[in-house]
Amino acid sequence: MNLAYRNRQSYDERFMKKRLAVCFALGTLLLAVPTWAQGPRGIPRTPDGKPDLNGVWQVLNAAAWDLEDHNASLRVPAGQSVVEGGVIPYQAAALAKKKENFQRRESADPAEAACYMPGVPRASYMPFPFEIIQSPKLVTMSYEFGHTRRSIFTDGTPHPDGFPDFWMGDSRGKWEGDTLVVDVTNLDERTWLDHAGNHHSDALHVVERYTMTDPDHILYEATLEDPKVFTKPWKISMPLYRRLEKNVKILEYECVQYIQEQKYGNAKPVAGAK
Amino acid sequence: MRHTLLHIAVASILATASLPALHAQNQTPPKWTPPRTPDGHPDMQGMWARRGTAMAEANGPNSPLSEFGATGQPYPTVFNTGVSTPQAAAAMANRPAGIIDPADRILPWRPEADAARREFLSHMIPPASLKYVEASARCVPPGLLGGDDRHPYQIIQRPGSFVVMFEYNHVTRVIHTDGRAHVGPNIRLYMGDSIGKWEGETLVVDTTNFNDKTSFSQTIPYHSEALHTVERFTMVDPNIIDYQLTIEDPKLFTSPIRIAGTFAAAAKGSELMEFACAEGSQTLPNIFGFGLFPEQ
Repeated sequence: MNLAYRNRQSYDERFMKKRLAVCFALGTLLLAVPTWAQGPRGIPRTPDGKPDLNGVWQVLNAAAWDLEDHNASLRVPAGQSVVEGGVIPYQAAALAKKKENFQRRESADPAEAACYMPGVPRASYMPFPFEIIQSPKLVTMSYEFGHTRRSIFTDGTPHPDGFPDFWMGDSRGKWEGDTLVVDVTNLDERTWLDHAGNHHSDALHVVERYTMTDPDHILYEATLEDPKVFTKPWKISMPLYRRLEKNVKILEYECVQYIQEQKYGNAKPVAGAK
Repeated sequence: MRHTLLHIAVASILATASLPALHAQNQTPPKWTPPRTPDGHPDMQGMWARRGTAMAEANGPNSPLSEFGATGQPYPTVFNTGVSTPQAAAAMANRPAGIIDPADRILPWRPEADAARREFLSHMIPPASLKYVEASARCVPPGLLGGDDRHPYQIIQRPGSFVVMFEYNHVTRVIHTDGRAHVGPNIRLYMGDSIGKWEGETLVVDTTNFNDKTSFSQTIPYHSEALHTVERFTMVDPNIIDYQLTIEDPKLFTSPIRIAGTFAAAAKGSELMEFACAEGSQTLPNIFGFGLFPEQ
């Protein structure tokens, strides 16, 4: 830019100096204030300086079928454990329930057999994209699976007292540096953690951490604590990948409608039904 | 500040104070200038209740669901306590609502399509089969006309998109305004594919790619895949978004239908709650005598 100005004979030197000063000032401002521009770590930022998580994201792993190490089977891809330490630390009775769940998973997995909302953290690693819609006081996750949605309030409010359990829980977020930390409570005990029957109780407490590591990746971590089911808190982690297709958008996976058609499409109402 | 359901209920009772009613004429540009988003468009972000958009036709057939009272639901339902609009009574009095074209609200039905839907209605109570069970009882996404009763909406704007979140059935519409085209014609969606563009103060939303599985009303239980809608969102005062919806469905109607409505600002502190529809619902198990899970 400077060279271009020098080559233009019509500018007298004084005028040119003014122009250069303005250019320098603007340049300094852009470097100093990481607004819409990219910050020092190269990640996009919102006007309030937070990492800009807006976009469509998806995992590339087999955690939805089984969080732990597992071999492939029909329509199930093999996968290595995403659990820190490899194994979920179940209490004995809870491990027995997990094994029973596994045996009847085809008919009893709430998300797969009945299309219930997957709960947290399972919604994050379903093999479907989800969109993050970020504004200063509210981060919304809009998941393609069953058009499930959850609100993460980042307005400093605490979990409300006396709320019932929700399928997607109650989420309160805050920024710790460049990491969005989300505290999730009020989770309905009827959801599973994956298709292998890993489960939890109504005492489940999840802390999620979303850390953008570059413009197209978020490190997703979740710590699960449930004194009724596990012997200690445990953690999963995995990357979320930005869907880079130019025309990418969340479409519809209307699981509830498909399952109704499968179960009731050929059924006759019972006598007296309205 | 967090407002619980109870707070919202109390707010509904107490919210009788009316703000000055600054209703604008439908055709004239608004005198009031809305606040702007950083990218320079009218800032409509916030919590809203939509009113007046019902497609209530004159001389239509009786709803087979009318015997079930205000909810029109033969099935046990749990609704939230509603969304109140502090300014509603005064400001809404002169707002256009419902079908505005045709003015007599007699819809331009193709005779064969009208006959077909009357036949359809006759099989709804008791339902002859799954498809005749009223759509909201099957948790079908509401389309562009459903979802208003008692349930707020939240609008979020980002560069390149305008997001309308329904509390009802947790629907999220991300309306892209970045110049992209509609998805390909073989993609069919309950909520359609919406593309927006700003025409001055107005967001114009063109929606195509619908499937034929959502309902217009209790007496118009479906539409065709040829449905094409154009919505116009214009903020005319701090508490009112003028909303117009043009419906074209050449397989049902011989000419477009225009509907007017209003997004009215919801009471301060309103927020979207989780609306679970299918989870644990006993409606279809009761109708068909068995549940989704073997043990039910």
